[in-house]
Amino acid sequence: MGKPKLLVGLGSCGIAAGAQVVFNHIKEKDKGVLADLDVTSCVGMCYAEPLVEVVSGEERVLFGQVDTAFADRILKGIADGRLPEENRVREDSDGKEYLARQVKVALRNCGVINPESLEEYRAVGGYQALEKCLKELTPQGVLDIIKESGLAGRGGGFFPTGMKWSFLAKAPGDDKYLVCNADEGDPGAFMDRAMLEGDPHGLVEGMLIASYATGARHGYVYCRAEYPLAIKRLRKAIEEAKGQNLLGDNILGTGHSFHLKVKEGAGAFVCGEETALMASIEGRRGMPTLRPPFPAEAGIKGMPTNINNVETYENVAFIISRGAEEFNKYSCGRSTGTKVFALAGKIKRVGLVEIPMGMTIGEVVNGLGGGSSSGLPVKAVQMGGPAGGCIPRSLFDTTIDADSINATGAIMGSGGMVVMDETTCMVDVAKYFLAFTQKESCGKCTFCRIGTKRMLEILTRITDGKGEEKDLDLLEDLANHVKKTSLCGLGQLAPNPVLTTLKYFREEYLAHINEKRCPAKACKPLITIRIKPEKCTGCTACARVCAVKAISGERKEIHTIDPDVCTRCGLCLETCKFDAIEVV
Amino acid sequence: MSEVTLFINNREVTVEEDSTILEAARKLGYDVPTFCHAENLKPFTSCFICAVKVEGGKGNLVPSCATKVRDGMKVTVEDEEIDASRRMCLNLLLSDHCGDCLPPCESTCPSSIDIRGFLALVREGKELEAAQLIRQKAPIPGILGRICPRPCEDACRRTRVDEPISICFMKRHISDTEIAQMGKPQLPEAAPATGKKVAVIGAGPAGMTAAYFLKLQGHEVTVYEKHATSGGMLRYGIPYYRLTDETLKAELGVIEEMGVKVNYGVEIGKDITAKSLEADHHALILAIGAQGASAMRVEGEDLPGVYSGIEYLGAAGENQIPDLGRKIYVVGGGNTAIDCARTAVRTGADVTILYRRTRAEMPASDFEIDEALHEGVKIEYLNAPTAITRENGKLLLSCIRMELGEPDESGRRSPVPVKGSEYTVEASAIVSAIGQKVLPGCVEDLGIDVSRWGTLLADDKTFQTSRPGIFACGDCQTGADIAVRAVGNGRKTAWAVNQYLSGEAVTGEPELFNSTMGPLESLDPAMFENYDPADRIKMPVIDDQTRRTTFAEVETGFVPSEAQKEAARCLECGCDAAEDCRLREYSTRYNVDQTLFAGDRRAFRLDGSHEKVKMEVHKCINCGACVRACAEVKGLDVLAYVNRGFATRMTAPFGRSLIDTECDGCGECVKVCPTAGIMFQKEAALS
Repeated sequence: MGKPKLLVGLGSCGIAAGAQVVFNHIKEKDKGVLADLDVTSCVGMCYAEPLVEVVSGEERVLFGQVDTAFADRILKGIADGRLPEENRVREDSDGKEYLARQVKVALRNCGVINPESLEEYRAVGGYQALEKCLKELTPQGVLDIIKESGLAGRGGGFFPTGMKWSFLAKAPGDDKYLVCNADEGDPGAFMDRAMLEGDPHGLVEGMLIASYATGARHGYVYCRAEYPLAIKRLRKAIEEAKGQNLLGDNILGTGHSFHLKVKEGAGAFVCGEETALMASIEGRRGMPTLRPPFPAEAGIKGMPTNINNVETYENVAFIISRGAEEFNKYSCGRSTGTKVFALAGKIKRVGLVEIPMGMTIGEVVNGLGGGSSSGLPVKAVQMGGPAGGCIPRSLFDTTIDADSINATGAIMGSGGMVVMDETTCMVDVAKYFLAFTQKESCGKCTFCRIGTKRMLEILTRITDGKGEEKDLDLLEDLANHVKKTSLCGLGQLAPNPVLTTLKYFREEYLAHINEKRCPAKACKPLITIRIKPEKCTGCTACARVCAVKAISGERKEIHTIDPDVCTRCGLCLETCKFDAIEVV
Repeated sequence: MSEVTLFINNREVTVEEDSTILEAARKLGYDVPTFCHAENLKPFTSCFICAVKVEGGKGNLVPSCATKVRDGMKVTVEDEEIDASRRMCLNLLLSDHCGDCLPPCESTCPSSIDIRGFLALVREGKELEAAQLIRQKAPIPGILGRICPRPCEDACRRTRVDEPISICFMKRHISDTEIAQMGKPQLPEAAPATGKKVAVIGAGPAGMTAAYFLKLQGHEVTVYEKHATSGGMLRYGIPYYRLTDETLKAELGVIEEMGVKVNYGVEIGKDITAKSLEADHHALILAIGAQGASAMRVEGEDLPGVYSGIEYLGAAGENQIPDLGRKIYVVGGGNTAIDCARTAVRTGADVTILYRRTRAEMPASDFEIDEALHEGVKIEYLNAPTAITRENGKLLLSCIRMELGEPDESGRRSPVPVKGSEYTVEASAIVSAIGQKVLPGCVEDLGIDVSRWGTLLADDKTFQTSRPGIFACGDCQTGADIAVRAVGNGRKTAWAVNQYLSGEAVTGEPELFNSTMGPLESLDPAMFENYDPADRIKMPVIDDQTRRTTFAEVETGFVPSEAQKEAARCLECGCDAAEDCRLREYSTRYNVDQTLFAGDRRAFRLDGSHEKVKMEVHKCINCGACVRACAEVKGLDVLAYVNRGFATRMTAPFGRSLIDTECDGCGECVKVCPTAGIMFQKEAALS
């Protein structure tokens, strides 16, 4: 057997956790003697980064929390023929719980291959689906398979992809456009980034198949400029594909042509809305316009256009290669296949998961995710980002499929799942998202531009302890108006965080208003930090870290906090070793 | 082109197939409001005020200006839900609209007098026209111009540059000039007789104003007055040194001359019943004032030597001032207390006012307090009477010192007695001027609703009481208040009575929505940067000796050159587009509440750099019509959307002024602006 391969997870997440340092260390130290060092991307176990995998033949051992010292142990283990028993994150209980029920379709290559290598992509069957389409299937045949698979828009709209493609296929002329919406902007969401960084060829192949099915000759990937690594890898993938005549004119000699470009967005959240996205591609201000006309009738440059998001395209090659049934065997209600979620917030195992439709929220949060990171009960999960809503623990039996999630008042969205425990204030959560949408509104429509601002102001009043009960009626009335009378999804869905928290956590709002109390003890104007005299040892540690000098007391005597000076930053709480500081 | 048929509010309409819902609705006569829509521009859908319901939709409202009709479509363009949406849309827009429709002086004036208008006329020496302008709202400019506490001047924006315009005195100047030039006030002609008879009880400012405006409409008006002369509290509550008999006679006399009949010396409830007046007339207005004195609620207040302010000033009005001796105490802090004190000073007495709070809380006008002090009146703040006794023929007033405690419901800090600070003084007389109350007994046979304070209950807009055809205005409806409010309410009452007599719905005087930038102190200093200070002209007064010893009028009036100079200080606040503004029109129609979402608001930003057009970005409602007009009609990109979210603005990009752009002042943007975001410069508009 030859040298084993050492794969270091160099997605943005891994790099942030220190994987680049580990990679450089191994490169320097081993110089390719013991193992072939290679790069892969995010495998989804963000909680265990940095990750290093040892691949020898069929055997793969994944090590987590790898620092330079542990990297040395791995190298020694390779040399000794006995890899370390610790940190085997796929085999420990965390890993087992995390991975056991996942089904990798869109993420099938992420963390497995070197995303910057067309060769490796081909080695796992890449571009075979494209060749199958070009050489064995008619465009209609491709459409039929996609329709049969039940694939639906993974950006959150869950519109049937096959139907959407057939609109474009039927549109007259051959000057048609295909767009990939990679303008991922939801706070806490990183699905698209992981796929772009981990499997750019999967996206290119998916778009190529779509272009064949619909007759589109031009394509754009609209990606936010804040994803430099994703853009770099995608550009490389496009260049490599061009080099092998997988992109461009007369692809693989079949007469089909498709030209793909990357367009970088400047970070406006609203550009994820398809009409605004197209305006931005054309160089205009990203502002949504009324539909109809829909993009399939008049999109980029007035030409028929189809837009799907990254995950949707990443599923395509799998469906073509393995068949629609292999995909839609996972189904729940009208939703088929799998869905990628980014688990974030106060959850034990943060990361990227792909689950079959029909698992319950509780199974994902408590099973895969391992419950809260604090050990406190999970209170709710926020799904769908700023357009979504908060689903309370009492509804954790809800199955994950678009219709069931929508019925809760939240939306499935593109896959953000932010977990909240008892220390999260739900009014504060609503305020957070409204602050986001308020800033990101394009400013065109009255209800969205001013309505979100006024909602934010009312929420701020409440979290400042200045709210009145009539504010809740005003807030709810305004939220319903904004929902009903906005042009695009940003405005129509912006009230969801408010409406769902009002629906499920009204008592938290009332506590802020009537008792001037934040049950989660999170809203600074409503809490006091104080020292428990019976526990204070007079160690002075808290007084020394306090930036505003709100804490006084002599050494070895009980300290006190001046509430008028205290900014409720919480630094003293973290510093005290004697559990002598509390929030009331 | 083929046609399609659809249903709007269940009415069938056939239009060309490429039409919008808005076009179809307008064809049926529905006045669907729009801001961002303009005939010559492509649909844009930003304001969403035109949103309507389409059956079979997701429950969302759709913009009618851009949604195309379909055959068999069922649309609702007017119902409660849509009204609520439009009101919400306007509430939101107005919460971010920094502009005054009316100048604050005018919107503050309880008589709604066009102050900016009459100041402009005075500036041009057109006092006669100015008098007519005032008379459209208030028939007694000479009276109000002498005695008004001037709420308008408190609101005057000029205060932020230096001092407020001398608005009140300008009315006096206008009236004096008119009388000097024409011999008497010039009243318009009354309309031909309608045959309808109206009785008014009380010849005070409210009653006489209502009578005047009803007579103008041609109704037969008879006023019943218990005194021998007209004026009510103007005469019997305000001393002649402030408001002369001559002025009263001149301004109220002409109202009688135009045909209002006043029956003097008739006391309702005694000489004749209110009920019989009701029976003999088509409508009845109660303007009986607030003629009762409030009690001090201290022991001994009924003793001889203790008078009410109303009694004292009433006697002065009859030219029968009682001699109250050399040491007079006046209790109270309002203008009546000041009037009593200044009257008493003129009888040669040593006068002290006792007031239980400090000067800051004193309800009397500041300038009145100054005048009193100037004339030698002493004011003891933080003192209150506790008992009045008579011992050995001496009138003794026991008092206690106070300190200020917590604020009460009125927001004023309540006085709290200081323990052990009691003291007693000797007085020749005590005048109690702590308030007035309505004496509704004379009209109780009408059976109308009365509040627990005795005020007659009437609607605040129509002034109709609980009984149709019977109206109440002035102090008897508001409780004791200032004359200018009695005048305004008298006029509004006349409007409603006229509606009643004409058989129309009684809705009261129509009022347009008025946007306001907010209180004086809250305004952006940038608004006042370009004005040079100019001193307020002082009102000339007679010499001190004459003041203290006679009842001669203290103030002597402006000369024309002074008046013109003063009028020229006016900043001409208010909006140039107030009469041609869809934002205001719809805000009136949908009854908008500008304060519902009080919060962050766009800042004042005027771009007056261009000679032809000016942008008042603070008034813009972001409909985007100007940006599109410039691009689509003119082919230029002078204006653009700038910023994002709540901070989005329509303006010249990159912080430029209009003059630094390609703008040639063609005015395509002005034509489509629904409000005052972009206007022609005044000079350009005239040319």
